[in-house]
Amino acid sequence: MFGASRLGLAKLVTPKQLFVYGVRRSISTTQHVSDYHKGADRTVSTAFVKRGVAKPKQMKTGLKTVVDMANANERYYHPIPVVGAPTLSKETAKSENVNKILRLDKEFMESIGNDNFPGFLENDFKLFGKPALLYRGLTQRLVSQLYKGGRRASSKAIVLDGKAGIGKSAELLMLASIAASSGHIVIYAPKTISWVNSTRPYAPDANNSGMFVQQDVTAELLSRIYSMSKGALEKVPLGKRVTIGRTTLADDQTLADLVVYGYETPGLAQTALDQLLEIASTQTVVPVLIAVDDINTFWTDTLYRSQDDEVLPAHRLRLVDSLGGFFDRKRRLAKGLVIGATSHVDYRFMPKSVKDKLDPPLMVPLTNRELAKDQNLVRPSTKKPYGIVKLKHMDSGEAWGLLCFYRATNLIATKVTREFVAKKWMMASGNPREIFSNITSFA
Amino acid sequence: MLHLLGVNLPDRKIVLVALTYFYGIGPQTARKVCSQLSIHKECKMNELSETKVNQLSSILSNMTLENDLKRKISANVHHLREIGTYVGKRHAMGMPVHGQHTLNNSKTAKKLNRRWLRKYSTSSRLAPVFGILQSPLSNKQD
Repeated sequence: MFGASRLGLAKLVTPKQLFVYGVRRSISTTQHVSDYHKGADRTVSTAFVKRGVAKPKQMKTGLKTVVDMANANERYYHPIPVVGAPTLSKETAKSENVNKILRLDKEFMESIGNDNFPGFLENDFKLFGKPALLYRGLTQRLVSQLYKGGRRASSKAIVLDGKAGIGKSAELLMLASIAASSGHIVIYAPKTISWVNSTRPYAPDANNSGMFVQQDVTAELLSRIYSMSKGALEKVPLGKRVTIGRTTLADDQTLADLVVYGYETPGLAQTALDQLLEIASTQTVVPVLIAVDDINTFWTDTLYRSQDDEVLPAHRLRLVDSLGGFFDRKRRLAKGLVIGATSHVDYRFMPKSVKDKLDPPLMVPLTNRELAKDQNLVRPSTKKPYGIVKLKHMDSGEAWGLLCFYRATNLIATKVTREFVAKKWMMASGNPREIFSNITSFA
Repeated sequence: MLHLLGVNLPDRKIVLVALTYFYGIGPQTARKVCSQLSIHKECKMNELSETKVNQLSSILSNMTLENDLKRKISANVHHLREIGTYVGKRHAMGMPVHGQHTLNNSKTAKKLNRRWLRKYSTSSRLAPVFGILQSPLSNKQD
């Protein structure tokens, strides 16, 4: 250690002992720097503001930071530019607007609620500033199907299927928005995974043994139906005396009164919904749109358990059973359209049986005539009660429209050219979600 | 904090997890209790209504938990010791009971296995008075 002879000590000394004898030693670099910057508080950022912190000293994991634009450095943070796009409605949902970005109606978005946007769309809308989606060729075909259903009874339900991120939920959202602006009764369920993943309360049905009700979820759905299609509901009279609990609604009252009573009385919400579906499906005054996202959850086991600790299949939930009947052809709409979209996000609700249902095997005709005539022979059924529409990759026009919009909202810094669009399309195989991820990963 | 049958259950805990705070309830039993009462998986203790709490309390009071369960286990081990079984002797010696090797390891057994027979005395005079079992390793014999 330090030379004991210098200090006149008989033995080796430690640095601590040196302080006792007043020997100075050089301070470390860290101590020197911290002393120099003593006045500066570098624990508080001037640009970033953490939100949702209850106690200042407690740090929560996964906390989202938002940029405080008032204090942000102008060199690095630009405000989101206002992009002028027409609002998606009955008037703008035409073939002239295919491959163009259309904004979603503000009232419609408020009626859905902030936490109920399907899939990843909530984050996308925050980046764009205003909720806007690409109006595709498929959207135009679905809109024409919607108007066809508005003139006569719907034949089959439609189920949109495809890879994750291909645009199924976005199509459903746009269709619901157009139907709401066209005066349809819109029954739109954006996230039915929350109905079956045991995150919401449930209770056994007192009137129906073996079934379970989710009154809070049903009341929420009724509230959404009312805010989306208030005008349409007021046009349809009940046509009969409806008794819900101890209250009886007169036959000259409208569906709006029924829905309001339903969501104001959560304990009777399921009964109100059943009455609403029965009357709305048989009337021909106003067309009805039933749009269910994550429809595959209706055909699987839930994460709920019965009172005997058995896993509950989805059809034993009354809410699922009420709407699922329209897809299995047990119930029909007199006027309107029934459409659903699958979700491949949660593998627990996409088992092999559901995948086989959506992709039925090819039925090859039997060459052996004797075997073909055998009545005891069982072959898997390929007939489905609903029509399946497979969403494929975007075409070049759609990709061009999308990337031009990203350029307008400053998500892309470079100029959009044909080569740029082709490159991004190739890298993402035409999947809109992958194009978006590719662009934002280099932002 | 909900105080239920002598145990404090934190309000912000999920019911499925909070029930395991009871001695005698593990994840499986907690799940069965929640299924019986139709409590969903993400329900927290502060979301339970008074009716549900009462139902929960009545179900738990019908189960053997906490001190009752400890007494039952202790009585079982005492019985094994009294009738002179091999298992009883192993409990008394604080050695592994289920045929494990003792050449190495067996540290957990040596630490824990004697805990059900702790109510014994090395004094032979006190044993018949207080009904306390005599340790087999006691040097004082009658």
